Amino acid sequence: MPLLAKVQSFLRNLLSTRRADVELDREVHSHLELLTDENIRAGMPSKEAERAARLELGGIEQVKEQVREERLGNWLHSVFSDGRYGVRQLRKNPGFTAVAILTLALGIGATTAIFSVVYGVLLRPLPYPNPNRIMAVFEVTSKGRPSRLADPNFDDFRDQNHSFQAIAKYNSNIVSISGSSQPTRATVAGVTPGFFKVFGVQPIIGRDFSTGDNKKGAAPAVLVSYGYWKQYLGSSPDLSQSRLKIDNAVYSVIGVLPAGFQFPPDVSLWLPADLDGENTSRTSHNYSAVGRLRDGVTAEHANQDISSIARRIHETSSEQGDYLLKDATVIPLRDSITGNVRSPLLVLLGAVGFLLLVACANVANLLLAQASVRERELAVRSALGAARGRLIRQFLTETFLLSLVGGGLGVLGALLGVAGLVALAPENLPRLESVSISIPVLAFAFLLSTAVAAGLGAFTAVRATSGDLRKGLEEGGRGQAGSQSSQRIGRAIVAAQIAITLVLVIGAGLLGRSLMKVLELNPGFRVDKIVTMDVSLPWLEDPKAKASQGIFFSNLIGRLKQLPGVRNVGATSGLPLDGGGGLPDGMFLLMTQNEVPKNFDGFQALTLQKERIGNADFGVVTDGYFQVLQIPLIRGRIFDERDGADSPHVAVISDSLARDRWLGQDPIGHTIEFGNMDGDLRLLTIVGIVGDVRYYGLDVPPRPTVYVNLFQRPRSAISVTMLSDADTQSVTTEARGILHDLDPEIPTRFRTFSQVYSASLGSRRFNVILIGFFGITALVLATIGVFGVMAYSVSRRTREIGVRVALGAASGEVLRMILGQGLRTIFVGVAIGIAGSLALTRTVESLLFAVTPTDPLTFGAVTLLLVGAALLACFIPARRATKVDPMVALRYE
Amino acid sequence: MSPEQTSLLQGTLDLLILKSLIAGEMHGLGISRRIQQITSGTFVVKPGSLFPALHRMEEEGWISSFWGDSENNRRAKYYRLTKPGRKQLALETRRWGRISWAIAQALETS
Repeated sequence: MPLLAKVQSFLRNLLSTRRADVELDREVHSHLELLTDENIRAGMPSKEAERAARLELGGIEQVKEQVREERLGNWLHSVFSDGRYGVRQLRKNPGFTAVAILTLALGIGATTAIFSVVYGVLLRPLPYPNPNRIMAVFEVTSKGRPSRLADPNFDDFRDQNHSFQAIAKYNSNIVSISGSSQPTRATVAGVTPGFFKVFGVQPIIGRDFSTGDNKKGAAPAVLVSYGYWKQYLGSSPDLSQSRLKIDNAVYSVIGVLPAGFQFPPDVSLWLPADLDGENTSRTSHNYSAVGRLRDGVTAEHANQDISSIARRIHETSSEQGDYLLKDATVIPLRDSITGNVRSPLLVLLGAVGFLLLVACANVANLLLAQASVRERELAVRSALGAARGRLIRQFLTETFLLSLVGGGLGVLGALLGVAGLVALAPENLPRLESVSISIPVLAFAFLLSTAVAAGLGAFTAVRATSGDLRKGLEEGGRGQAGSQSSQRIGRAIVAAQIAITLVLVIGAGLLGRSLMKVLELNPGFRVDKIVTMDVSLPWLEDPKAKASQGIFFSNLIGRLKQLPGVRNVGATSGLPLDGGGGLPDGMFLLMTQNEVPKNFDGFQALTLQKERIGNADFGVVTDGYFQVLQIPLIRGRIFDERDGADSPHVAVISDSLARDRWLGQDPIGHTIEFGNMDGDLRLLTIVGIVGDVRYYGLDVPPRPTVYVNLFQRPRSAISVTMLSDADTQSVTTEARGILHDLDPEIPTRFRTFSQVYSASLGSRRFNVILIGFFGITALVLATIGVFGVMAYSVSRRTREIGVRVALGAASGEVLRMILGQGLRTIFVGVAIGIAGSLALTRTVESLLFAVTPTDPLTFGAVTLLLVGAALLACFIPARRATKVDPMVALRYE
Repeated sequence: MSPEQTSLLQGTLDLLILKSLIAGEMHGLGISRRIQQITSGTFVVKPGSLFPALHRMEEEGWISSFWGDSENNRRAKYYRLTKPGRKQLALETRRWGRISWAIAQALETS
């Protein structure tokens, strides 16, 4: 049939349905008359002739409906009519409709909100051309963990690989940028040429770095981000006069990168790496690396390529030991950014999926109750000629209406929810800025609503139209047909709901208990009343200039101590729990008093003597730091006025290091060489042992630590810690004034130590709050579900209960009967739920702390809570059952 | 009619309707009786199958319809073959020939 005719017929059917229907009616009636005539001619009496004709025809309405079904173009029309009918149905039961829509909105909205985070963080492609070709390159340590790269190793990877069309290394540093009105602290990246080619971006103004820019002694050049250019350089297209003073050196701005390019995150300035020359050590891991795969090369291929280079280095290098790479690995950049948060986010998504299931179960039960109320209506429609498929479609239409309206509301809710999620999200969640209700998220919400609608619709339709519908007419008076089996299904749904809720609440319970366990730990320091102040001076190499920075800090601390309300002041190179980076770690050497290595080659040579080697974190602190944080002195002494810049250098070590390295000996008085950390090869004499401090996180065991004295080993960036009884605001203002007084060009940042402490618990808290919220919501929904099914069952059994009471059943027996029925459902649900939890909580094991995935306390408490809530939900309908008046009940209906 | 038969009979029914209309225009009952006659009573087409097929074939453009008077002066809807309908009949006939030949072949091989 030609397309035109099809369209014509389609339109005809759409536009002139009424006329077509009238004509069809006439045709079928005329057929009936013709049949009757035929029968009369065959000799039947007229009455019987008509009856026989009707029998042969098989129902006027059925025939008409069959023709309508056959008609092209009919479907759209019937969808409209189903839709209209559905809306009417839903409006007739505003209570049911509102509850169903809100429940679906809750489920779909919560799932959409969490999906938007999962999509934004884990799935959304990086905003660069062919982002899946961008790889991160890591060395693999002797312990098998990925690590950053040492300069010569990177050079080998760059020069010997056959897999990358561009490969570059980068690091990031905090610097002070001065020259403008307000000195700012900024994170800048040091990068090698080719860095921007890896990402496939080019400066929109000016030029990219060339190899010349990275040569030692080249004129300092900087590339700026689009945002920085707009904000600080006035969007000027002429860069020839643009200069920035970064840590005391003046850089010419040579280019502006396109808007949206921001890698590493938070960086808005890019400098050439290695302006001071490369580090020649293969065991100093200072750079990260990225590369863009050549066309046709797979990640797997590149991995083997880089790995073989790495193993060659491992075998041939003169530098051996734990710090030399053992292997190398190549993984997609996106995965390397999100690796740590993948499993917690997927757990969240799973949890919210469970919540959605529980919500759907409630709606399914509501629909089931609705469907049994509508049995008569269905019976009538089917008698009037509606085919089963047509009825099923009617149900699907109604659930589609519910789900789409619910989904729409849910997406509106998710818009708000996402803002909340982003605000609540821990600082360490990467790519948070790309979380939003985007087109793919909307598509997800739509598909989800459709899936929910199809599932619910199919379920109710099959339930409602199975069996012989005509029974509905016969028993219609009682309205009880099919109620037995639909109640059985209702109870099965509730049992499933209880099971899912149990899993969810147990998961929330385990995470909550982990958080409590973490909070119970002794972190090794005090947290309250401490204000921290990050100060970074320009980074300097020259020992004399560094010494002047030590004097600067000494002055600063001295003046801060005078502030009213300030009890004590200290300083440290790294605060505990601050961003998870902890202190840098390295390899130190045990020495005797007089054998100072003359240079780093001497140091390297000594590292070959295994018995001298120790590993520890390296902290640069003042005596006040131990006092302010109340890190206990175990033996010996901390730093004091004896330890001037020119006195013999001393060190304080942590308890765990004393036990690790000097087992059964007294480390006090021993000397160590740790000059690889700060370039000062003078020996350190151990003078004291202090308590262990958890730097990396409350849930990470403390690491052995060597502390040196800031006044002997000055450095440019420190965090000042002030123990103060005065309020934070006034301390901050006065401290800022003092710093400005000493040098107005130095940027700073203030926090309370409680903020630092609290932020370190961010991801744990995020998970507990969200999964807790999902668990509680599921619990409420499941309780409503139990209540609904039980109340419905009691109302359906009113007659039966009335008969029982009339025949002498005591109210206690009725109560027991109803509760017993509820309890069976609850126990089935709980049993499945516990089995499910035992199987599923293992997936959250990595998120737990000091709690096993099968923690009996959590399992027990949650089960009790759930059974309690469910029993309460049973109890109200059961009580109502005992109040049934047999006279009223028997007259019922 | 059991569901297994429906699919086979779908094409068959179209073919039989087209074939019976070769003789000239006919109303629904006439077509039904004609089919019964030409198949020697093997196929009895019920209105529930006949009318949907007629309407579908009309939309396909194989047949056209008009209202006329029956032999005992009843108003009835008549159907007649169109040009595409004749083409379709030829096509269906050939197809059916192939199928029946193939089936016969299949049944003869032991």
